[in-house]
Amino acid sequence: MAPELRGSASSHRAVETLAAKLRRRQVVGSRAAALETVLVLRQVVSKARFSNLEQLVSIIRSAGRTLVEAQPKEHSVGNTVRKVLHHVREEYHTATRETTKPSFSIAKFVSQGQPRKQATGAARTEIKGILKDYDTSDPDAFAKMLKPVLMEAIQYVLDELETVYDNVAKNAKDHIHSDEIILTLGKSRTVEEFLITAAHNRNYTVIVAETALRKYEGREMAKSLSSAGISTFLVPDSSIFALMSRVNKVILGAHAILANGGMFAITGSQIAATAARAHSTPVVVCVGQFKITPLWNLYHEYGALDFGNPSDVLRFDEGNLVDKVDVVNPYYDYVRPELIDAFITNDGDHPPSSIYRLLKETYDDEDTEL
Amino acid sequence: MDSKNIPRGLKIFSHFGLPKPVGHTVKGDIHPAIIRLGLLFSEFRICGANARAIATLTAFKKVIQDYTTPAQSSLSRHLVTHLSPQITHLVAARPMSVTMGNAIRQLKLEISKMDFDMVEQEAKNSLCEKIDNYIRDRIIFADEVIQDLAGKKIKDGDIILAFARSSIVEKVLLRAHEEGKKFSVIVVDSPPLLEGCKALLTTLTNTSPNPIPCTYALLPALPSLLTEVTTVLLGAHALFSNGAVYSRAGTALVAMMAKGHGVPVVVCCETYKFSEGVMVDGFGKNELAPSKITRSTGDSINVTPSTNLEILNPLYDLTPPTFITAVVTEVGLIPPSSISSIPLALGKSTL
Repeated sequence: MAPELRGSASSHRAVETLAAKLRRRQVVGSRAAALETVLVLRQVVSKARFSNLEQLVSIIRSAGRTLVEAQPKEHSVGNTVRKVLHHVREEYHTATRETTKPSFSIAKFVSQGQPRKQATGAARTEIKGILKDYDTSDPDAFAKMLKPVLMEAIQYVLDELETVYDNVAKNAKDHIHSDEIILTLGKSRTVEEFLITAAHNRNYTVIVAETALRKYEGREMAKSLSSAGISTFLVPDSSIFALMSRVNKVILGAHAILANGGMFAITGSQIAATAARAHSTPVVVCVGQFKITPLWNLYHEYGALDFGNPSDVLRFDEGNLVDKVDVVNPYYDYVRPELIDAFITNDGDHPPSSIYRLLKETYDDEDTEL
Repeated sequence: MDSKNIPRGLKIFSHFGLPKPVGHTVKGDIHPAIIRLGLLFSEFRICGANARAIATLTAFKKVIQDYTTPAQSSLSRHLVTHLSPQITHLVAARPMSVTMGNAIRQLKLEISKMDFDMVEQEAKNSLCEKIDNYIRDRIIFADEVIQDLAGKKIKDGDIILAFARSSIVEKVLLRAHEEGKKFSVIVVDSPPLLEGCKALLTTLTNTSPNPIPCTYALLPALPSLLTEVTTVLLGAHALFSNGAVYSRAGTALVAMMAKGHGVPVVVCCETYKFSEGVMVDGFGKNELAPSKITRSTGDSINVTPSTNLEILNPLYDLTPPTFITAVVTEVGLIPPSSISSIPLALGKSTL
């Protein structure tokens, strides 16, 4: 219990405030939730008092647990906590030892080629000597020594979150060719940035399916795409199959990516992906890596973890019917990995079959259960 | 539409034929019953393949009764030319449905077979009687037989999924309920027309003695509901000889998802809806809904077309035969691959 009490009162308050916001669903969007989580964790870590790594980890973990329990369906919160823990451990281990923490050899082999590992390599050499010797009499010395390293780790996570849209859209022009017809569904900021970036170099058409179950957010997407100069069609979801024979690619957004390569996405994604499979049209998902979750969808054939407001489907002015009829308004769909062809993330493109490998590299196994 | 001003991308859909304005202008000598019908069609007050066919034939009965053969020609030759501008007016209000086409073709055949020597009034009465028989045999009685056949597939404890509003599916469900079967219905609906909402739900929940338990959802919610469904009942606008079903937009998605979950898809269709010819996708022949009759659930922002933004509301789509388990017609329950043998079963050489 001691490490929790050692965290100062104000950082506790920050965690509670964010937990209350999450519970009331005042934080809207996975990226917004992730950003707020990182900022709160930065406060927690900067105010935390600890004398060894385990205490720090349990402080971060308990803060994370509070946040995740406040809104278990917003997976990006838990993912961010896990990511911060992973970076903290990594920075600590590289600072106290000569070599990096031994990881799976395949992952290490792959990671050698990644530019970001080389960047932290430079920081490593500076800090390597510092932590070897510190004044054991001062209880805060260890914490003080480690703090700049931790702040850098958290800053790295924050930078990654802030540049998600730019990085996903980086190679947009390689994925979309001239005169293509793209189908997309509803409103996803990531997909919107992706399509607008590609429009700078390519001339193509987008068909947007207005999602009837999400207050027709497809309409906003169509408006913003058309004002960016892309020729856009707005169609109801019912015509997805009819138009699929002319569509070259389906580009979707995701709410969360699961460990088996499947995903939770907005309602309507499953019918769009199945229709695309029936026509052998590739389905591509644009998503930031902060949405990859160490979670499996074992118990639901459908991803309707969350239900929306039934009056969006059957209004109260159909007075007679409201009593006699059950109304279903699921918020998410689960899309199987077999229906998805590729994930375009801020750190490269991956097929659904290698999501498990990304999980191993990004998070530590002991953090799966916070 | 000026083709120079359309952005390049939008031209690919230009053959859809954007909805023309309501045919208030009347060209030529059109019978008032036909003018009234044209207005009802363009306002989508009469919607649905069966309803339109019956309304058309009833209007034509009036036209025939009011018709007088000119002095120099005979009824069997001139009546057809008299009917042509009426038909054109109806097509201008709203593209012809397959059912209307089949019915009118049959009517023209009957007219040409009329006996040359018959007295005019007798000929007109005989034609009206033939029209009545057509409606009675091919639509009303056919519906009764289909209700029996499809009703046998509904058992106690079933959960039936119906999409949008099909007059025949509604009748099947009501008949099964009257026979005392206990089942529940999931009504899946979709913009742009949202037909299932008021009409179908009201009829289903107003049955006595006990209302049928109903669930209502929109099309994107379908995968979450399919795990509990026992049968999917669909209606059709037309059936093609390769077994493909031309029906309300969204039907193909329902059939596709149901097939993926192993749920049988049963299409109820009268034989007069059969069309010779083959259609491969929903693009070759389709109709766009005019924006004034589109409805939405809940609150939503209104979008107006602009330079780069176009709104399309296709009304129909084509379900490939692989997604359909069986078609119920008045000649029996048949697999979609046997559609082309229906004329044989009816005892005719052509439809």
